[in-house]
Amino acid sequence: MKSRRSTLRFGFLGLLLAALVNVHAQQPRPAQPATPAPQPQLSTSPAAPQKPELKFAILGDTGTGGKPQIEIGQKLAETRATFPFEFVIMLGDNMYGGESARDFQNKFEKPYAALLSAGVKFYAALGNHDVPDKQIAYKLFNMGGQRYYTFKPQDGVRFFALDSNYMDKKQLDWLEGELKNSGSEWKILFFHHPLYSSGEKHGPSLELRKVLEPMLIKNGVDVVFAGHEHFYERIKPQNNIQYFILGSSAKLRSDSITPNSSFTAKGFDSDNAYMVAEIVGDEMSFQTISRAGKIVDSGKFKRVERKVSNQEVKQ
Amino acid sequence: MRMQPAIKWISVSAITVALLTAMSVFATAQTPQLAVQPVPKDDAKDFQERVDKYLAIQKKAIGKVPSMPKETTDAALISKHQLQLADAIRMLRPKPMQGEIFTPWLKTTISAALKQQVKGKAGADTKATILDEGNPKSGESPTAIKLTLNGAYPDTAPLSTVPPSVLMALPTLKDGVEYRFVGRTLILRDTKANIIVDTLPNAF
Repeated sequence: MKSRRSTLRFGFLGLLLAALVNVHAQQPRPAQPATPAPQPQLSTSPAAPQKPELKFAILGDTGTGGKPQIEIGQKLAETRATFPFEFVIMLGDNMYGGESARDFQNKFEKPYAALLSAGVKFYAALGNHDVPDKQIAYKLFNMGGQRYYTFKPQDGVRFFALDSNYMDKKQLDWLEGELKNSGSEWKILFFHHPLYSSGEKHGPSLELRKVLEPMLIKNGVDVVFAGHEHFYERIKPQNNIQYFILGSSAKLRSDSITPNSSFTAKGFDSDNAYMVAEIVGDEMSFQTISRAGKIVDSGKFKRVERKVSNQEVKQ
Repeated sequence: MRMQPAIKWISVSAITVALLTAMSVFATAQTPQLAVQPVPKDDAKDFQERVDKYLAIQKKAIGKVPSMPKETTDAALISKHQLQLADAIRMLRPKPMQGEIFTPWLKTTISAALKQQVKGKAGADTKATILDEGNPKSGESPTAIKLTLNGAYPDTAPLSTVPPSVLMALPTLKDGVEYRFVGRTLILRDTKANIIVDTLPNAF
């Protein structure tokens, strides 16, 4: 009798283990493509408060110290008066052509003086024009002395900043571990080189895509922001991940988006731009605004709740 | 009492399914594999020992300069510390020789590993990434760099992107140094002092 009980217990445990592993490995749900919002207002707040609720802004390829950067900085500060975002993420190339103390002033502190004095935090990722060991030590970039790092502005949302210019095994292992440990929160990555791009000059970073994308899918990453291309592009969701390129917050490469690209949901390459975004519960709303103050793209999409997937990734 | 055949079958099947599924999930959870032919282990070890000797100098130099906080809002302090550290390293390593770390025999294997990664259609993207905008000799952002050992890597120059497959093919480096490319020259750069440690011209 004792032997039978132990066999039954053994069998039950086996079935339970199989069921658990199967749930863990289920396929992601279909993508929910971004839908343009009819109104320029960002708020998606429903009557009853939901969590998380978070407002943030995005800048990419900023560090010129030139007129476009200064004007974008002013516009962003004006936007904050009506849309009080908590922090700004920077997508790399934070300093072009020199990193002296004067450069840090002219290419960062002055253009964003209004925001900095209002206590807005900036979180930087490194680009190919950035000197890593200088920028990681610069407190106003909030990198904590690391080339890659993660932060959680509030429960339910986690950001990961990567150094896509030097994606070694150590960084990949770190990312895999951090993503796995981050649970079912919003997972938002930002780094410099885009995995998808319709840029005529650079195009997508295919090798980076090869190593990163399966990890992002498996671990349920929701959104990826990248720069490098000096334009704005919203990519059609790829494997349930929403990709944005914003590399035009100071530099601009006009007419450089491949026309009729099958990846483009929305492209804008005729003026500099910045983005603001808001997360309310499972929804993210976004707006992309030009230097002239025109809303060039907006929309919202729902976070897809995913489990670890073992699906093959189409490269 | 003997085990009922049906119960035994269910138990064995369930455990087998569980183990196979777990193995499959575990397999896909590993870092994705690129097609990489790394530098042979013995050569990598030789290289790493040479790098370790350099890092010992770097460590000694760090002990000789005023310490700096992990983070500061004073960008001038960051630059000053880097310059002081570079000077201290120059004092401790006054006559660096090209090939001290990228020795002639290592050059052969390192070059072979790099050539393997950039060759043909499969390596075209890797090659293009190395020579793209971040490379100081790219057409888009050309910057004059004098590749002098112990010399500073200019702040005004971009840093080349080093693709993941290349980093996986080359011997792993500890914190404090990194690989970069200037044109087709592979350089070993001291990240803390921002100086060039060694160079390997025509690396691929």
